[in-house]
Amino acid sequence: MKLWRHYTVVGLFVFACAGLVARVVFLNVTQREFLQSQGDARSIRYETLPAYRGVVYDRFGEPLAVSTPVVAVWTDPSLTEFDEATIAKLAQLLGLDQQALEHRLKTNAGREFMYLKRRVAWEKAEQLRAVAIEGVFFQPEYRRYYPASETAAHVVGVTDVDDAGLEGIELSFDDVLKGQHGRKLVLKDRRGNTVKDLEYLSAPQFGIDLTLSLDLRLQFFAYRELKAAVASHKAVSASLVMLDVRTGEVLALVNLPSYNPNKLPDNHYEGMRNRAVTDTYEPGSTVKPFTILAALESGEYQRTTLIDTNPGYFRVGNKLIEDPINLGVISLNEVLRKSSQVGIAKLALQLEKRAVYDVLNRAGAGAYVGTGLPGESVGKLSDVGLEKPVVQATLAYGYGLAVSPLQLAQAYLSLATFGIRMPVSVLKQSAAPAGRRVFEADLVSQILNMMVGVTEDSGTAPKARVTGYRVAGKTGTSRKVGPSGYDDRRHVALFAGIIPASDPRIVMVVVVNEPAGKIFSGGTVAAPIFSRVAARTMRLLGVKPDAPVSLPRSV
Amino acid sequence: MSVVRFAAWILLLLLVVASGLEVAYTSQEVRRLHMVREEAQHRQDEHLAEYSRLLIERGALAAYQNVERLARDELAMSFPEDVERIEP
Repeated sequence: MKLWRHYTVVGLFVFACAGLVARVVFLNVTQREFLQSQGDARSIRYETLPAYRGVVYDRFGEPLAVSTPVVAVWTDPSLTEFDEATIAKLAQLLGLDQQALEHRLKTNAGREFMYLKRRVAWEKAEQLRAVAIEGVFFQPEYRRYYPASETAAHVVGVTDVDDAGLEGIELSFDDVLKGQHGRKLVLKDRRGNTVKDLEYLSAPQFGIDLTLSLDLRLQFFAYRELKAAVASHKAVSASLVMLDVRTGEVLALVNLPSYNPNKLPDNHYEGMRNRAVTDTYEPGSTVKPFTILAALESGEYQRTTLIDTNPGYFRVGNKLIEDPINLGVISLNEVLRKSSQVGIAKLALQLEKRAVYDVLNRAGAGAYVGTGLPGESVGKLSDVGLEKPVVQATLAYGYGLAVSPLQLAQAYLSLATFGIRMPVSVLKQSAAPAGRRVFEADLVSQILNMMVGVTEDSGTAPKARVTGYRVAGKTGTSRKVGPSGYDDRRHVALFAGIIPASDPRIVMVVVVNEPAGKIFSGGTVAAPIFSRVAARTMRLLGVKPDAPVSLPRSV
Repeated sequence: MSVVRFAAWILLLLLVVASGLEVAYTSQEVRRLHMVREEAQHRQDEHLAEYSRLLIERGALAAYQNVERLARDELAMSFPEDVERIEP
């Protein structure tokens, strides 16, 4: 009797064991791969090791963009539920609003990943690490800091929250700067804590540092002067481009309005546009030196050749070209100095049809500059319709084409180098790049001497003068195109200058867009900015004065 | 015959034990090296944080506006507006 019960129990046990063994064999043999992969999927994770983004320096090694290590603090709301006290503590340590955090945790309760806060300063994260709250994780990341702030914002640009380039150099040289993320394989437990590093797949590779051609000092006071001018003239915007004549490097490039890259605007991106590069303007009278150069190149004109501008206006087709006052019979010298529309138009009509276009083209007025800054505009310089006298005449005084301030600077650079066209660059050059000759040196030298006349007392821009230096320049005042043709109330004031005229070091283009009020001409709005910035620049670069000081005062 | 077999078994056993020890040693070494790496990473982050802070600080101190302010306000310097040139 008892034996029977004993065997039944043993039999049942053996049967149950056999069942389990059979199941184990079945799972191990037929389902192995599936189960293994599922297990791994729940516990093995790739983790990225962020790479340190390269530093952007100015030409003297001042930092313009620096990455600093920060920490993203995150949690897995589907696994962890914080109690009231912990939330309060977290909110306090992270500087968050407690109620907002509570709300955020509640609404994301089903999610497996939620940032508590990104870009937490490194020291603060250490504090938090020391408190060791269960279910709070740390992911290293980098935050970009821009010491020059709005001064150099348009050139340097900005990165987004994930450290990828968004604007400026940060965008166009993103591949160089960003380096390469590393990866490692880790084993995690059910709560998400890293238990073990399984494999270190690749080390993060640091990004490469970049040295720009900008001189932060020049950049700074160019920004300051431009800002003051925009405020006093209530202008819509303004740009300034300064190039080094010897190397073609961009020494300063400033736009207003600007923005603070350390604190990106939420919805207002107006200030983010790099207008000196992306926006084009009709350059107006600033192209006149090129028209005169075309005349000199024809061999039929000299500086002293007389042009009859009587009676101060004339008609081409159905377009009336006029000077503010009748200048009478004047030499080419005077045409440039007084910026005579009639004189330059008459001159252009006597030249070969394509001559002016050709000179502008060789100077690089309509050419892609290729600095690599995002959104660079090619402007508009076309030879369509040149057989029409109206087109030929208007091109001679700077209408019917559109250039960006950077392109205008590039064109003036070809004059400043006495006829050698140089590549323009925003990266520091170790040696002066090879240029290519586009104009004859002695003709350009004559043009520069004529342009010095513009900044003399009888010229259009005496306000562009710099004590001790000869300034060759040209003003421009162009009307903007409105809904119904050219608008008489909206202007662009330009000044393009070369200093010192005897041995040029700097080319600077100043463009003030839509100055409000009665003062709107290039000579009164843009030229003073040139003068102030150029004076400082000459002093900082230690350029030898080339103009005789007016009078040695007796002591 | 049986002695040879026995010796072979012993040898195999010893090899198994040795390989086991080697595995234990290696994984211990992996853990140790991992710790070293982690620590180095931590130090690197620390240095980077300080480096970038110092870089930014230097940038702020050497900023043109700061130099100009110091020169003007504390050293009572001014721009040479009235230039006199002495010809040799």
